[in-house]
Amino acid sequence: MPEYKSVKVKQGRGGWGGPLTITPTDAKPLIYSVTGGGIHPVAAKIAELTGGEAFDGFKSSAPFEKIAVAVIDCGGTARVGVYPMKKVLTVDIHATSPAGPLAQFITEELFVSGVKPDDVEPA
Amino acid sequence: MTGTEAPPRVIYDSTVTAVGSQVEAFLDHGILIFFADESPAELHDMSVRHTAAVAEEGPQAGDTMVLGEHRMEILAVGSVVSDNLLQLGHLDLKANGLTEAKLPGDVNVATQDLPLLAAGDAFRIVRGERRTTEETA
Repeated sequence: MPEYKSVKVKQGRGGWGGPLTITPTDAKPLIYSVTGGGIHPVAAKIAELTGGEAFDGFKSSAPFEKIAVAVIDCGGTARVGVYPMKKVLTVDIHATSPAGPLAQFITEELFVSGVKPDDVEPA
Repeated sequence: MTGTEAPPRVIYDSTVTAVGSQVEAFLDHGILIFFADESPAELHDMSVRHTAAVAEEGPQAGDTMVLGEHRMEILAVGSVVSDNLLQLGHLDLKANGLTEAKLPGDVNVATQDLPLLAAGDAFRIVRGERRTTEETA
């Protein structure tokens, strides 16, 4: 059984929300990358530091309840809301702030943006 | 026509495969969200999904967006739109009339009722198309 560690993810330049503390568990092992071009370096770093499993959301699908954190490269409307709406911790690579029809679901307890690999640290 | 203009060029050509159950609710906000057919399941409800035959470039202001039988001029394009569209088939279309993209993923067109698309409809972007308004100007 893998041992999981925690990371702290803080907002990057121009970003919003957080910091988030992310700790995968056996029930929620997935570091879920919903980004272009495969597993994003931010997702890879979270997986490496926590022992979670990096997972490419565009290659195959995962049940929501298994997601420890969703890493997205959202430009502000769709993905920024979908994961917080389901109470999934969400890290946006782009420096977005709550907007769009789902803005009400985007809170600083659930969402952090503008994140680069350097903004991910062991907790 | 000056004769030196390049003919219109289709830079993105796709066909709608499915329209999610929440798409109509987003239309009430003047928003249409597109994702590629193979996008994650949790995005399907909110998205018009499609499968692209041509994906050469992302849009620029001045290009024409073709949605089914509707044609509209693209007024502004955010900084991450091209990556989104070419990598994920993703685009956020907003009928807000703004000539600057408020969010990096936005593509703006004139304020209007966007069409509720159906499977089989075209989702196409054309560059260099002359417009009626220019022809009559």
